[in-house]
Amino acid sequence: MANPKKQKMSRRKFLGISSCALTTAVVGSQVKVLKALAKSGDISEPVAAITKDVYTSCGMCVNKCGVIARVRDGVIHKLDPNPNFFPKSRGMLCARGNAGTKVVYDPDRLKYPLIRVGERGEGKWRRASWEEALDMVTNNMNQIAEKYNRASMMFASTEGTFSEHFFLQLAECYGTPNTLRHPTLCLSSNIQGFSATFGTNPTPDVKNADYIIMSGANRAEALMTPDSIDMIKTDGGGRRKLVYLDPRFTKTAAKADEWYPIKPGTDMAFILALINVIITEGLYDDDFIEENTVGFEQLAQHIKQYSPGWAATECDIPAKDIRRIAHEFANAAPSAVYYQGRRSSFFQNDTQMRRAMAILNAIVGAWDTKGGLLPNKKIALTKHDYLAPWYDDVPDRLDKGGVTYLSEKDGSWPVFRDRALAADPYPIKGMMVYKQNVLVSVPDRAKSLELMKQMDFICTIDITMSDTAWYSDVVLPEATYLERLDPPENLSGPVPVVAFRQPCVEAMFESKTNFWIMQQLAKRLGPEIAETFDFTMEEHIHHMLKKKPEIYDALFGKGVYYEDTEPEYGRLKGKRLRTRSGKIELYSEKYAKKGLDPLPVYKSPDKVPTNMYRLLVGRHAYFTHGTTANNALLHDLMPENTLWLAPSEARKLRLKNGQMVKVKSKVGEEKLKLEITEKIRPDSVYMAHGFGVLSKGLSNIAGVGGSDAALIESKYCPISGNCAMHETFVQITPA
Amino acid sequence: MKNKRFAIVLDTERCIDCKACTVACKAENDVPLGPNNYRNWVVASKLRGKYPNLGQSYTPSQCQHCSNAPCEHVCPTRATFTSSDGIVDVKEEKCIGCKYCQTACPYNARYYNEETGAIDKCTFCAQRIYAVPPRLPACVDTCPTKVRAFGDLNDPNSEVSLLLARNPSKVLKPAMGTNPHLFYLD
Repeated sequence: MANPKKQKMSRRKFLGISSCALTTAVVGSQVKVLKALAKSGDISEPVAAITKDVYTSCGMCVNKCGVIARVRDGVIHKLDPNPNFFPKSRGMLCARGNAGTKVVYDPDRLKYPLIRVGERGEGKWRRASWEEALDMVTNNMNQIAEKYNRASMMFASTEGTFSEHFFLQLAECYGTPNTLRHPTLCLSSNIQGFSATFGTNPTPDVKNADYIIMSGANRAEALMTPDSIDMIKTDGGGRRKLVYLDPRFTKTAAKADEWYPIKPGTDMAFILALINVIITEGLYDDDFIEENTVGFEQLAQHIKQYSPGWAATECDIPAKDIRRIAHEFANAAPSAVYYQGRRSSFFQNDTQMRRAMAILNAIVGAWDTKGGLLPNKKIALTKHDYLAPWYDDVPDRLDKGGVTYLSEKDGSWPVFRDRALAADPYPIKGMMVYKQNVLVSVPDRAKSLELMKQMDFICTIDITMSDTAWYSDVVLPEATYLERLDPPENLSGPVPVVAFRQPCVEAMFESKTNFWIMQQLAKRLGPEIAETFDFTMEEHIHHMLKKKPEIYDALFGKGVYYEDTEPEYGRLKGKRLRTRSGKIELYSEKYAKKGLDPLPVYKSPDKVPTNMYRLLVGRHAYFTHGTTANNALLHDLMPENTLWLAPSEARKLRLKNGQMVKVKSKVGEEKLKLEITEKIRPDSVYMAHGFGVLSKGLSNIAGVGGSDAALIESKYCPISGNCAMHETFVQITPA
Repeated sequence: MKNKRFAIVLDTERCIDCKACTVACKAENDVPLGPNNYRNWVVASKLRGKYPNLGQSYTPSQCQHCSNAPCEHVCPTRATFTSSDGIVDVKEEKCIGCKYCQTACPYNARYYNEETGAIDKCTFCAQRIYAVPPRLPACVDTCPTKVRAFGDLNDPNSEVSLLLARNPSKVLKPAMGTNPHLFYLD
């Protein structure tokens, strides 16, 4: 009889208890991965080394939660939540945070600089020395500057790395205005709508609010610290009621006291009807409005047209519920918030929809008070100043004037891309990418591929072979967040903190920090640029903390620095806000002057065409955008994505649960598995983000599932330039 | 450890099914990769009701550390044993991988670890709770919404004792007579 220890078939597998797809990967501990890499000659044989605990910040998403890395014999064995009081992440670490070890010990990691030898996207590479790769990058940058203009180089980067500002510094010093950051794939409409009203984008006091209404901000899955934690009812205070609007029954819906599967794109109608009830029935905070706001008269006139009866037909939420919720909300106020959401942009009217939210919060006085919206605080750090070289012939940003309010550093992805494709008013021929996964994150992948096709040169800095790296000419391996000394970052909020990163282990393979890469490129671009990077990271950190050296000890001693443990309420009372009038602007004079609606005007979303469905996107707790689906530990939780469809529609289309379907939009077609579920409105379908990748360098997910970016049309909010993610209709057919 | 009786009390109302506990456990205990290998898990209940009136609950679980453990009774080599602190454990070197215990466990809390060639399961992270200074089991420590509380039932002032004194609770499959030590608040 065979040795039972050598049996390959596990009982669980044999019994068929789990219906999940089985993976063949059997690499267990980090040590095993290291040994395998040592055997292949990728690294030298691991030697027994230090055992220690290291404070740092998580880098799996953008929350920057506090982490303590348990290093055992030179290997990061486990990542635990920072055990010290940490105001933002409150002693937790999510699934992604726990999976961080598999970012470092990932056989798919980029190990050394690569130079493309085949066609773009063909996946043929050769290993290069840093010297050669860096020379190639700057030679191409110089050629583009000579042949076209410095502005013909674009720099795309992402948030959460603590190192993005070095990348932006290089862009500025090189002389291009064309940096593309994440906000127009994220929260730029939200910032715009709330700032137009309050002069700032405040944070809801979720921990203390008695009544919370959330529109599509799926906080049980789209984790935001501390809101996701604070949203859960606790014995010691916390909210009494959560009303949740979402076309999908998400895990937040499961936790909410009331869930309404609102018709997508009609949230503004619901909010305007709440304002209507609160004003017509006199439930608003008279004194607060008098003292702190402008434009109430105009608002009261404007809002008359938006009755609950009218909204009911728009949103599919009964008028009596709208009326009741308005009463409950106003009764709970000022300890009540209409939660503005954050990383979401749904429709072209997104800025005005967020404006409506802001106005509703304002008229019940839920501002700068316990349980309401709180203005953020920030712990001041000394800025790193540098003198960027001056170039005479550099034009304005390519996307300038494309939308009403364009952020100079962020740009607007959809506007920029359209102009770049038309070379209007000048060509874009070079692309530097730092960890942004353009092909997965920006809607209409075909257009992004078109954009990449027209480039003379593309360089991507990343830790894995993302789709964007896959289509690049030079790929540079960055050290992961657990291998870097990163500058401290002041995270603003009602209770602000300073967080930082320090290396838990030495950077593996030939990976280098972004800072080092920037220094090397700067050196090659000339002494004037090199000078702006002429310091060590240690010097940089000391410089940032020079006014408050105690931060240094706090960071290295307990992983975090903070000054308050509770929010300070009434901080801005009687002070001038950063709006034109200095008050909360219910009516926006600023918008009126720009020819925009000074009060939110509702327009119905386009009707879903017959035999088509509205494509919805959304987050879940296992992946961060387009970057973590290949992580071995997370892949165990979700090996592929599916298309959600309501049972009634599946019957109509004669489709079966689990079968492959074709999803077709105006701009693309994808194939993935069908999941028939009551969790979605019959007029909509949903798929999770991060699958359907083009790169074959992501071995767990290559060829699996469908890409939402391939399907979503590139529509955008004309005020903020934010992508409208929910304005795409698709057809479903058997594959 | 003498005079201790470890237990976990869960408030499933707080669970958002984020699976931080599952990943934390896999990382902490070197559980081999693969969706079928795990020491703890979260069960999403069947969807209740009809659209648009729906409900769903999430129940995290793991080895129940029964005081009358069926897995221990059926083990032919006595690889499975109960420590005096109530932790049910497996002696890797004694395990012959016959998987009787896996079948006997009413909670499906055991898996066969192909890397060690032995049955593996939750140990309340004994390596953490007995470390100096002691640390909470990984699943308890990492949980964003703090579903689980861990502690010693023999200490009347421990968090678990207080939770069970103040709130009604239940155990899973009480009819099996296993006397589990994972308690679910009502």
